[in-house]
Amino acid sequence: MPHDRRGDGPPLRLVSREGGSDTHTQPSVARDIDWSILMARAQEGDRAAYHRLLQEITPYLRSLAARRHRDLGDIEDSVQDVLLTVHSIRQTYDPARPFAPWLVAIANRRFIDRLRRQGRTRDREIPLTAKHETFCEPAANLEERTDGRELEGMVNNLPPAQQKAIRLLKLKELSLKDAAAASGMSVTSLKVNTHRALKSLRKMLLDRREP
Amino acid sequence: MIKTPDLIASLAANATPVRRLRPPVMRAACWLLLAAVVLALLAVNQGIRPDLVQRLQEPAFAISMAASLLTGVLATIAAFLVSLPDRSRLWLALPVPALIAWLSNVGYQCLTQWVAIGPNGMSFGEAAPCFATLVLTGLPLSLAMLVMLRYAAPLRPTAATFMGSLAVAAITATALSLFHVIDATVMILMWNFGTAVLFVGLAGVFGQKMFRWVAPRTLYARD
Repeated sequence: MPHDRRGDGPPLRLVSREGGSDTHTQPSVARDIDWSILMARAQEGDRAAYHRLLQEITPYLRSLAARRHRDLGDIEDSVQDVLLTVHSIRQTYDPARPFAPWLVAIANRRFIDRLRRQGRTRDREIPLTAKHETFCEPAANLEERTDGRELEGMVNNLPPAQQKAIRLLKLKELSLKDAAAASGMSVTSLKVNTHRALKSLRKMLLDRREP
Repeated sequence: MIKTPDLIASLAANATPVRRLRPPVMRAACWLLLAAVVLALLAVNQGIRPDLVQRLQEPAFAISMAASLLTGVLATIAAFLVSLPDRSRLWLALPVPALIAWLSNVGYQCLTQWVAIGPNGMSFGEAAPCFATLVLTGLPLSLAMLVMLRYAAPLRPTAATFMGSLAVAAITATALSLFHVIDATVMILMWNFGTAVLFVGLAGVFGQKMFRWVAPRTLYARD
C-alpha cells in the first residue's frame, strides 16, 4: 500500500504536508519575480516567454509531484495535468502577486485529485489475472459446477451423432458452419441431431427430478 | 501518451492573449450591481410591499433585512476570493457572522411570536407571486455567478459553489421580504431559510455538472 510506505518515512511526510514551503525546492525570490514577468508577458500573448516559463516550471513541478506520487508515470501525468490547468486558467494570475503560491496551489489541487482518483480505482476495481482467464474455458466451468458433471454423464448416454452435435454447437458454442466443418456432418443433420439431443436431455432431466 | 516537452510546445503555440481577471472585490461589486439592477426591475414590475417603511421601523424586521443583505454581499466577496488559487480558504468564514445574525434573528422571531397569525388566519395566497420573485431573482443571478466563477472549476468547485449559492440565496431572501407581505413568522422562516436551503441544495446537486459545462475547455479533454 502506498499510504503505508509514505508513513514509514517521517522526513518525507513532514515535507509533503507543507506543500511548497520547503527551502530546497522553494524558488528563490529572484526566480519568482522572473516567472511573474514571464507569466505577465504570456498573458499578453508572448509565446516565447510562455514556452520558457513552462519549461522552467516543469522540473519544479516534478519535484513537487515526487513528494505525492511514487510511480514515475504518475509523476509525469500529474505534471502534465498541472500544465494543462495552468494553461486554461492563466487569466486568474495577477502579476502584482508572487507566482509560486499561485502555481503551488494549483499543483496541490491536481495532485490530490489524482490521489483520490487512484484511491477510488483501488477500492472498486480488481485487475484481471491469468486465473480469471482460465475460467472462461468451458471445461473449467463444467468441473466447477456440481450440475456440470451430471450433465456430462447424460450427454455421454446420447447416441454418438447427437453427442457430437450437442458438444460442438451448445457446449463449445461453435457456429453451424464451423461445427459442420469440424464434424464432417451436414448443417441439416447437425440441426436435427441437436434438436433430438435437447429433447432427450430434457426428458432425462425431468425424469430425474420427478420421482 | 504525449511527451511533456511536446505538450509544452503545443500549449505555447496556443498561447493566445488573455484578459487578466479584475480584482476579486471589483468583480464581486459588478455582480452585486447586477443584483441591484434585477431587484430594481422587479421593484418596477411588482411594486415594493406597501408597508415597507412602516416595517423598517421595527428593529426585528430591519435587523433581519440588513443581516440577509449583508450575508449576500459578504458571501459574494468570499465566493470571488476563494475562486482564485492563491487566496486563503479562510475567506469562506467571511459571511458567517452575518449569516448567524440573519438566521438567528429569523429563528428568534419564530420563537417569540410563534403564532403571530393575522386576523384572517395564515394566508398562503402570496405563495405563487413569492415563487415568481424567487425564480426571477435567483435564476439570472445564479447563471451570472456560475459563469463568473468558472475558473474555480479545477480548483475549489465545492467551496466556490457553496459561497455563490449562499450569496444568491441571501439576495433572493432580501428580495422576498422587500416585495411580499409575509406576516406569519412560520412563512418568514420558510421563505428565508427555505430559499437558502433550496439554492445551496441545488448547487450541491447540479453545481459540479454545471461547472463542467462552463469550465475552460482544455481541462477535461483528457478525462
